[in-house]
Amino acid sequence: MLKQLRLKLLNRLQLRESWIIFFIFGIILLNFPFLHIFNKSDTLFGIPLLFTYFFVGWGISIFIIYLFTLAIENSGTKQMERRQP
Amino acid sequence: MNNGLAQTVLITTLYTLLIFLIAWYAHHRKETGRSIVDNPYIYTLSIAVYCTSWTFYGSVGKAATTGIDFLLMHLGPSLMAFSWFFLLRRIIRISKDNNITSIADLISLRYGRSLWLGALVTVFSVLGIMPGIALQIKTVSTSFHLISGFSADSIRLSRGAYMVSVPSGILLTLILSIFSIIFGARKLASSERHEGLIAAVAFESLVKLISLAGVGIFITYFLHNGFSDIFIRFREAHPTDFSRLLTINAIHTSADVIPPFTMLFLSMSAIMLLPRQFHVMVIENINENHINKAMWLFPLYLFLINLFVMPIALSGLLVTGSTANADFFALNVPLLTGHPAIAMLAYLGGLSAAAGMVMVESVTISTMLLNYIFMPVIVRFTPRIWFPYLLINLKRFGIFLIIFLGYFYYLIAGNAFTLVNMGMISFSAVTQFMPAMLGGLYWRRGNRIGAITGISLGFITWFYTLFLPSLAKFGWLQASVLDNGPFGISLLKPTAMFGLSGMDPWSHTLFWSMFFNVGSYIICSIILRQDEQERDQVTKFIGTIEAEHRHRYHTEARRLSKPVTIAQFATLMSKFIGESEARQAIAGYIGDRYIDAAGNVSEFELTNLKRFAEKTLAGSVGAAAAGAIVDSFLSDMGSRMELVYDIFSTVRTSLDQSREALFVRLKASEIINRTLDLQIIMDDLLDFLLKEFKLDIALILLRDADDKLIIKSYHGSSHNPIPESHWFYESKPFCDEVSTTNKTYVINDTALASQAIELNRTIASSIVSCAYIPILREGEASLGIIAVFSKTISGLFAEEFIGLLESLAGQLAQAITISREIEAKEQERTQKEQALLLNARINRDMEIAQQIQISLLPSTAPELFGIEMGGRCISAAHVGGDYYDFFLRDDHTVDLLIADVSGHSVGAALIMAEVRTLLRPQVNVAHSACAILKSLNSQLYDDLTRAELFITMFYAKYNSATGRLSYANAGHNHPLICREGEASCIELDAEGLIIGVKPSVIFEECCIELIKGDVLLFYTDGLIEATNREGELFGAQRICNHLKTLHHLPAQDIIDSFYSAVTTYTGLEAFQDDISLVVLKIL
Repeated sequence: MLKQLRLKLLNRLQLRESWIIFFIFGIILLNFPFLHIFNKSDTLFGIPLLFTYFFVGWGISIFIIYLFTLAIENSGTKQMERRQP
Repeated sequence: MNNGLAQTVLITTLYTLLIFLIAWYAHHRKETGRSIVDNPYIYTLSIAVYCTSWTFYGSVGKAATTGIDFLLMHLGPSLMAFSWFFLLRRIIRISKDNNITSIADLISLRYGRSLWLGALVTVFSVLGIMPGIALQIKTVSTSFHLISGFSADSIRLSRGAYMVSVPSGILLTLILSIFSIIFGARKLASSERHEGLIAAVAFESLVKLISLAGVGIFITYFLHNGFSDIFIRFREAHPTDFSRLLTINAIHTSADVIPPFTMLFLSMSAIMLLPRQFHVMVIENINENHINKAMWLFPLYLFLINLFVMPIALSGLLVTGSTANADFFALNVPLLTGHPAIAMLAYLGGLSAAAGMVMVESVTISTMLLNYIFMPVIVRFTPRIWFPYLLINLKRFGIFLIIFLGYFYYLIAGNAFTLVNMGMISFSAVTQFMPAMLGGLYWRRGNRIGAITGISLGFITWFYTLFLPSLAKFGWLQASVLDNGPFGISLLKPTAMFGLSGMDPWSHTLFWSMFFNVGSYIICSIILRQDEQERDQVTKFIGTIEAEHRHRYHTEARRLSKPVTIAQFATLMSKFIGESEARQAIAGYIGDRYIDAAGNVSEFELTNLKRFAEKTLAGSVGAAAAGAIVDSFLSDMGSRMELVYDIFSTVRTSLDQSREALFVRLKASEIINRTLDLQIIMDDLLDFLLKEFKLDIALILLRDADDKLIIKSYHGSSHNPIPESHWFYESKPFCDEVSTTNKTYVINDTALASQAIELNRTIASSIVSCAYIPILREGEASLGIIAVFSKTISGLFAEEFIGLLESLAGQLAQAITISREIEAKEQERTQKEQALLLNARINRDMEIAQQIQISLLPSTAPELFGIEMGGRCISAAHVGGDYYDFFLRDDHTVDLLIADVSGHSVGAALIMAEVRTLLRPQVNVAHSACAILKSLNSQLYDDLTRAELFITMFYAKYNSATGRLSYANAGHNHPLICREGEASCIELDAEGLIIGVKPSVIFEECCIELIKGDVLLFYTDGLIEATNREGELFGAQRICNHLKTLHHLPAQDIIDSFYSAVTTYTGLEAFQDDISLVVLKIL
């Protein structure tokens, strides 16, 4: 079941559009409106809010890129299989 | 302290040696073919050269002064990694295809190999990178001073009487230059890949990461108790600073605060456009697939290296209590808290960061200098034997120049800025390349003038608004200019142009420079047109991914007017890249191409050779210079590029002929659809080909029914059918080849091909090139061949032309198939018609026969007092072989008979007619039944034997006065009598052979008394042999039973009832055999 979910997710990610969407989403997330939300000097377990926002968000985005690369490899192998008669 | 100095120098030297070792090892591994650099992790680490000592020290400084917004400088590249799969991959493919050596190469190539554009990019890169290099020099010298405790500005060397004092900065610069040269300019490589350099840079990136992370971990977990501890403590100590540093402030109070968007934008362009980034990501890339891993590994690297920056900054603030020298907290904190080893680690990290940047940057910019500044000058001179040496030394000189320019900037402006800001000046500079780059890759209309104008305006803006003011404090620019604008024009104030005040200088510069840059780029690209060369490049660039699918050989529309040998090309190349390199390259190129003894290549291969020479030289001197070199060389040889008349006899230099091709296809389709006559189609089509394409001879051959190729249409010099000795028959092997492979066969130069196959007569008829195109529809076998010949142009059959001819052949194949199908259908139709006609005629004849036969049978039974008679015959086919008759002799005698000829065909019916004819006279002679039969037999014997038929007959005479029935039987079914009171029927039998077996037969005569109420039934074997579905016969018993139920009915009704009974019994509509019934009722 997990493998199916994974495949589905990877298939979705192959769309060129989803790349652009994430890219623009990233730009939005790093600009004024969202920054302003987290732009307070509160702390979360002693760690400042903005600090957490940046680093956690960063980590998530790295993970998303990682998923994208998996999707690329997936489509790459699929294309190889398709080419072989 | 001298100890500190000696220790530091020692460690530095050891570290440097380590780097050298690694570089040497990597180089050695590459030479032996087992490269260690060829993997995605090294690739990623090499991209991490983005993090210079700017990241190492500058980020900490920025974090301590303006706060957490330093992170945005690294978030930008991380975000940019999303686009690498498309953007970077495309750039890498284009660069590999064209042997690009630097970013100036790429931009210049895209805009029509413009030397000016390349030179512009180079100059601006040199200017723009000066602050960057200055930054590195500053950090190394400062960190060196800090860690060694050596604070003097110069080193005194004493040697006897001499005392030289050398500023330590210069020493450092010199050392850096020498490193860079050793790593990057040992020889004039033709691919610009330096595995040693990359290995060194990758190692340094690793050291950077370990160092900063190490210092960070130390400070966070040893000096303090973890992340939260630092934050909490800092908050307690400096609460206002805490909220200021850990949030992003929108208030632009000083030049140090940069809005997030500006930082994001600048860092995103920097990661792609900094010369060192471009070099490392594109030029040094070995395998496209490495990008996949790098896309997430590089952001991960940035993540890790930035994780501890904030803690270090805060800790520094806690320890030192002020932001003075905040840039060097990473060093100072360990030093001040008494951990010199950690400080040394930090020092090494910073050193790595700086050295990596300087090496790569200087090497790549020096390449650009060589290709676009020095080469255009050198190219004007004829190549001499010492050119390779000149070139390599020019490159080394370039490296020196760049690094010293950086040092120069450092001297002037180094102490005025924080590190980060110096880096930002560089970032703003390279952002000016962004419009031209993106436009070049994605916008077809982007043209050279636009790019030049855009970049120039962008740079002027940058220079005026950022670069000059940075030097203002040192007398380069008068303070009044800064405050009031030049000549007092306040609108042109460098830091607030056109009245845009209130912005920090970075956003201000970014806005105006992008405004002018992008604006002029777009305007010029729209207003002005591109030239030929540019348009070629556009197709190459923007169509590059799709071009992967086109594998076929690429032939030129131009050719050299005078042949040049390979040896001459080799000599030219060796003048620039050295003899052994040139030899290697040529050997690799020749490979499987066909050359003759003198080193000549076939005429149209020469242009490919020229392109190859350009490409190889481009690796060393840049694309534009290579083009210029080869062109000047050829013109020296007296050979020019001529334009070949293309297939439409119009001079074209690009392959844009789609409209004419469309017209041709349309015309051909008209010809084909105008008529159904195949011969006319073929003739007209050949006529059209000859006229339109200026071919000289064309033939169509088609396969006939025996699968042999026959010439169906021949148009050329004469219209007579071609004789056996015609030169065309030499082409037979090609025709066979085409028939077997179903692929077009082209000979673009008969002189060349004649060396493999005999083509004497063909050449004697002055045929220069020919092509054989199979006529086929997709996926089917070929129907024939179109053969075309030219007497004037060799190399005529280019890829496009062949494509066009093939499509025409396809249309012809369709026409041929259709015409053949129509023929076949016609034939079928006539055949069917004839068959129908024949059938109708036969049916009509049969119906006539049926009518006649019915008329031969008695229409009604005769009337005789005391008896009732009836009879009926229903045949299985049109005509049958059954017969019955009544003859009234006199008032009280009647003859009845029933007969059956074998079969139920027309033959049987004819015999039956004959029987009837023979019977009539017999009857009048008042013979007995057996006598009649005997007479019939002897008369019919001959005919029956000839026809191979037999007759069964039952003849009876009834005398109503006596009530006596006398009868004879010739093998016929026994008639049945149903008598009242009797359980079963009486069968009448008499001995006798069937008629037609022996010429003379004696028949037995019997008689029986009939009483009132008897019903006599004569039948033929069709009744008794009627089978039902189970295969059961109707049988005598059933007949008898049925008769018993009906004996009270009138004769005709009895007969009808029997017929329906049989129909019910068999379950079929028609009878399997003729059934005749005669009924005699005694009333």
